[in-house]
Amino acid sequence: MAIDGRAAVEPLLGFVDALPAAAAGASGPAPTLHLLTFALDREEFGIPITQVREVIRVNGITRVPQVPAHVRGVTNLRGRILAVVELRTRLGLVEGPVTAASRIVVVELRGRTLGLLVDRVSQVTKVPVDSVAPPPEEVVTAETDFLTGVARWDSRLIMLLDLDKVLLLNA
Amino acid sequence: MKAGENPFGDLLQDYIVESLPLAEQVGDAFVELERRWRAGDPGDQVLASVTGSLHTIKGNSAMMGLTPMRDVAHALEDLCGYLARAGASRGDEAAALLVTGGGLLVDLIGSASADTEPGAADQFMARVLGFLGVAPEASAAGPDRRQAERRTQPRAGDTEAASVVRVDFRRLDAMLEVLGEGIIQHSALAELYRRLLRRVGACEELGELDQTVLSLQKTLSRLESTLMETRLLPVSTVFGRFPRMVRDVAHAEGKRVRLEVTGGDTSLDKAVLDRLGEPLLHLLSNAVAHGLELPGDRVRAGKPAEGLLRLQAAAVSGRVAIRVSDDGRGLDQTAIRAKAEALGVDTRAADTAQLHQLVFVAGLSTADRVTTLAGRGMGLDVAANVIHALGGTIEVESRPGQGSAFTLSLPVTLAIVRSLIVEVDRERYAVPLSHVAETVRAEPETIRQINNQGVTQWRGDLIHVADAGAVLGTGKPCEAPRPFYVVMTAGARRRGLLVDRLIGHQDIVVKGLDPALGRPAVVSGTTILGDGRVACILDVVRILEGAAHGN
Repeated sequence: MAIDGRAAVEPLLGFVDALPAAAAGASGPAPTLHLLTFALDREEFGIPITQVREVIRVNGITRVPQVPAHVRGVTNLRGRILAVVELRTRLGLVEGPVTAASRIVVVELRGRTLGLLVDRVSQVTKVPVDSVAPPPEEVVTAETDFLTGVARWDSRLIMLLDLDKVLLLNA
Repeated sequence: MKAGENPFGDLLQDYIVESLPLAEQVGDAFVELERRWRAGDPGDQVLASVTGSLHTIKGNSAMMGLTPMRDVAHALEDLCGYLARAGASRGDEAAALLVTGGGLLVDLIGSASADTEPGAADQFMARVLGFLGVAPEASAAGPDRRQAERRTQPRAGDTEAASVVRVDFRRLDAMLEVLGEGIIQHSALAELYRRLLRRVGACEELGELDQTVLSLQKTLSRLESTLMETRLLPVSTVFGRFPRMVRDVAHAEGKRVRLEVTGGDTSLDKAVLDRLGEPLLHLLSNAVAHGLELPGDRVRAGKPAEGLLRLQAAAVSGRVAIRVSDDGRGLDQTAIRAKAEALGVDTRAADTAQLHQLVFVAGLSTADRVTTLAGRGMGLDVAANVIHALGGTIEVESRPGQGSAFTLSLPVTLAIVRSLIVEVDRERYAVPLSHVAETVRAEPETIRQINNQGVTQWRGDLIHVADAGAVLGTGKPCEAPRPFYVVMTAGARRRGLLVDRLIGHQDIVVKGLDPALGRPAVVSGTTILGDGRVACILDVVRILEGAAHGN
């Protein structure tokens, strides 16, 4: 399952910053965010599809000794070695098993390609920009540091991940 | 021509590629000449050997409009022409002028552009003219002599040029990448054949498939060796800059040194060579600055005033050995011990060899004073790290009063490594065969526990045997005893590594470690196996080192 990340979409980095501007120009169709959404435990997360190169099935992840805790290992992506990040532990959840639904979301960020291990990939979702709110301040967990905002839409709660922070590796 | 208006920009690289080695030869010859003159040898052949190169450099530089280089080459030609005449004064002044000029020529060409330091070139020409001014008849003889050379000396390399093409090294890397994929696909085919054989049993078609897979392997390994050969360069391409640098260090330190280079035609992968210059330079400078004594001290110790520094390269059983040795004072064991104790290392039980190994530990430089060298370059620990990163080893031997020798053992290439594949806790690992002495079936009764460490007899020696799970940090306690151990070696160090399965030997294509993985101490890289799985390549040198420090 490959997703064309280069479709014409809204630029998404820093969606929250864009909110006031979007609210002011409320004429015409509301601007939307194109998100790839995926699940970790029962929570749904979203990242801008502009950052996604493809989504692949998990076909063997080799553990590498003595690597940072949030690195699950490496996998073979058509002859290239792809480092796979354990998104669950990175976000403060416990490590989970790889199941038939597990996927690796291959992201491209600042010229680097990395894999994110997720429990399952939902779909590409269009979310109106005005449904996004800043992360609730009263809830402070390990994961809120990594959020740029929360989208409440269509009776779903999608947490928007700031990949820059999530993948600021070894920082 | 004005600076920056060079119309031959595309040709500049060609100019450097052709002229720089010539200039380095000339520079080396002048260093040698200076040494011989001091020893009372007229060195006529050496002087004669540079005229062709100087002439070519002058011509090339003139064609490119690189006036400073042309002028320096011209001035050197005149100087050599004068010095070649009988009765010319071949003293220190002439020698210093030649060496300076040779160095200047290398520097100018190395950073080739028309506007590099015209001042330095002008200054040098003024010095040459000043020197020749004492003997004005030289300039009259000069032009005739040069024209005679032009007629009689064919340009070196003219005959070979037609069959040689210049290729960007990145293309060779790209080809290697493709070959790597081919090797992986071959392993996949071979695996598929074995599975088919198990499922349908032997038949004629499968026999043919087996043959085809086998000949594919032969084709690939021919392709590999051909490609590897194209990547190889003689070590002399790196050694070339050493004579002048050694000479410079010796002058700065007030030492007299003869550098003897052998085995310059030994070949190494360019990727290895590119990273070898710095550590070698460090070892050589170190030998001159700290190893060799001042001439007076040497004579008092009954040695020749001139120190001997040897740089030797040779191919040894599939690897390349490079040795830097001197006949100086040897490592100062007392100083090493004192420094080590100051750093909190207990050296009471250390024997001489262990003490010597400590020179590779960070912060343990035994230089008791800061020299011009100490500021630049790297420490011995950094040099050792570079060698290790290349999959090499470095050893030191030393005898008080007789000198020291550093021996490097390096893989010929970094790209494809013959390895033993083993399985530990259901993951596969590659162990480079150059570090595997033997694989042994681990009979529980032959391994004894001493101080919580497994110890066994191996070829008459006692060696430690460690569980791979513990070494790699992947093992869970209370696993069944592993049935095999691999005896790993690096230099003088050995250790058994207990593993679950021995899978077999395989050529693996080395792939790097993603920066996201940090810098694991036990893994040097990754590779893709025939079944598409990724395996980590064990960094044997660092594993054995870690074990030694752990002890």
